[in-house]
Amino acid sequence: MAFEYLKTEIFGTVTLLDLIVFGVAVLATLVISKIAGIYLKKSLSDRVEPTELEKLIKAIQVAIIIVGVYLALPSFDINVADMLVVGGTIGLVIAFASQRIVSNFGSGLFLIAERPIKPGDNINIGEVSGMVEEIRVLSTIIKTHEGIYVRIPNEKVFTSDITNYVANVARRFEYTIGISYQSDAGTAIRIIKSLLDEHPFVLRHPAPSVFVDTLADSSVNLRVFIWAPSRVWWSVRTEMLWAIKKALEDAGIRLPFPQRVITFAPGTGVALTGRAGQEGECDGRS
Amino acid sequence: MFGIYQIPFQIDASGITVMVDREGALSTYQRTSPWGTVRKMLGFRDGRAVINPVEPVNLPQEVTGMLEFHFMPVAVRPESLISLYLKFPVEIGVFSGAADNYTLIDVFSLARPKYSLYGTPEKGVITRHVECEVYESVPLTHPLEEGVLFLSIKNASRDWVWVSRVVFETSSLRLFYADMVAMSGEMEIFSRLVAETRILGTPPVEGMKQTLRVYPTKKSLIPEKTSYLMEYGVGDRDGV
Repeated sequence: MAFEYLKTEIFGTVTLLDLIVFGVAVLATLVISKIAGIYLKKSLSDRVEPTELEKLIKAIQVAIIIVGVYLALPSFDINVADMLVVGGTIGLVIAFASQRIVSNFGSGLFLIAERPIKPGDNINIGEVSGMVEEIRVLSTIIKTHEGIYVRIPNEKVFTSDITNYVANVARRFEYTIGISYQSDAGTAIRIIKSLLDEHPFVLRHPAPSVFVDTLADSSVNLRVFIWAPSRVWWSVRTEMLWAIKKALEDAGIRLPFPQRVITFAPGTGVALTGRAGQEGECDGRS
Repeated sequence: MFGIYQIPFQIDASGITVMVDREGALSTYQRTSPWGTVRKMLGFRDGRAVINPVEPVNLPQEVTGMLEFHFMPVAVRPESLISLYLKFPVEIGVFSGAADNYTLIDVFSLARPKYSLYGTPEKGVITRHVECEVYESVPLTHPLEEGVLFLSIKNASRDWVWVSRVVFETSSLRLFYADMVAMSGEMEIFSRLVAETRILGTPPVEGMKQTLRVYPTKKSLIPEKTSYLMEYGVGDRDGV
């Protein structure tokens, strides 16, 4: 017979034919899972959030592969119950041999279950800041604000301090705005409050807060506390700061540079001209 | 302005101009309002456009699906039912397509939007915030600017409750229009902290026409929520 060698036993009762059948079955499973993934992406991309869709596709693909491998196993004539026992033992051996990988795997599972971060979140882990691209079984992928790919092992993610900037639906940010001592703080506060009131994403509740915070060396410092939806807080922050600066200057309120008043003792021979301490203010005209 | 228009068309009202002009095999959509001009290309030259009020949670960009009304506190007796009328800002949507498969071309408004937080930053929700008066009968409104919420409040608790806020989920919101824009909602209060709200699918006044909604154009697989459980109080935070 031409294909008799296919029935040659390679190890135990497993023949070359068994191996080929198993390989083809697994390959077919992989192809089916890939096609299923493409089909799901095509048909659901408009209806499900991209991050959720990725999870859904992966879960379905893993399920297809598990079913495929399970169906292919009889070609080995292997008792699945026996294999589970053997697999468990082998698993223990592998676990001891590769503790780091197992640790990363376990941390990954805890990260997925606890969900301190999820894809799309702006976070800070240790010294890495950026957006979570993907949480894999062994590692977490971060795209930094500079667009750089960073892979962090899940064990490190799990044991590090995590700051998630968008975990809550709203967040607060603040400005310190220094106005000159000659300007009226009450007017400045009124102008700022009016601007905050007009902006749609400066939240009504919790209400923004504007107050005189410190009488500093060169300026009266106003503090502005603003709550905004986490999804848009950065654009609100960048818009409002410039809007406040322009509105204050338009109302004739000066935002001074740092300055120092120097008084010379009489009889030192230095002639005093002008009024030190009132120079160098930024009035928007010079 | 609300209605169905065959392309090409131009409609002017209250300082707003909406027009669709044919350009060869395509057409051009243009809207001019006090907030600016928007111009878009449409990949067709025939068909119809529908202009009607939509869920007021789309501008200036969508950040939430919740709509919160905040009004002067109203005392509600234990186990009683009252009816109120509240005004809300109207957002106007321009759609194209058939009734079962349509797309949103544009959304605009004459009202200035404002957002708020209902609950805590950790577990609360961002809401489109509507500061409004309370009316005991249907108030007069300009349909391009304001609509009316017909709100019934049932106090199912055994205590007096001061109500000054009501929050609705808008995924199932149904708006109706005729000579005014309106929707019906109900609120069932279980305590000063907890109440259930829902927008009804029936017109508050007979003969009103139901509007096309923005939510179905998102083709979301997430089912529409018919009710919302308010868990952070029905009154002001600092009491009455």
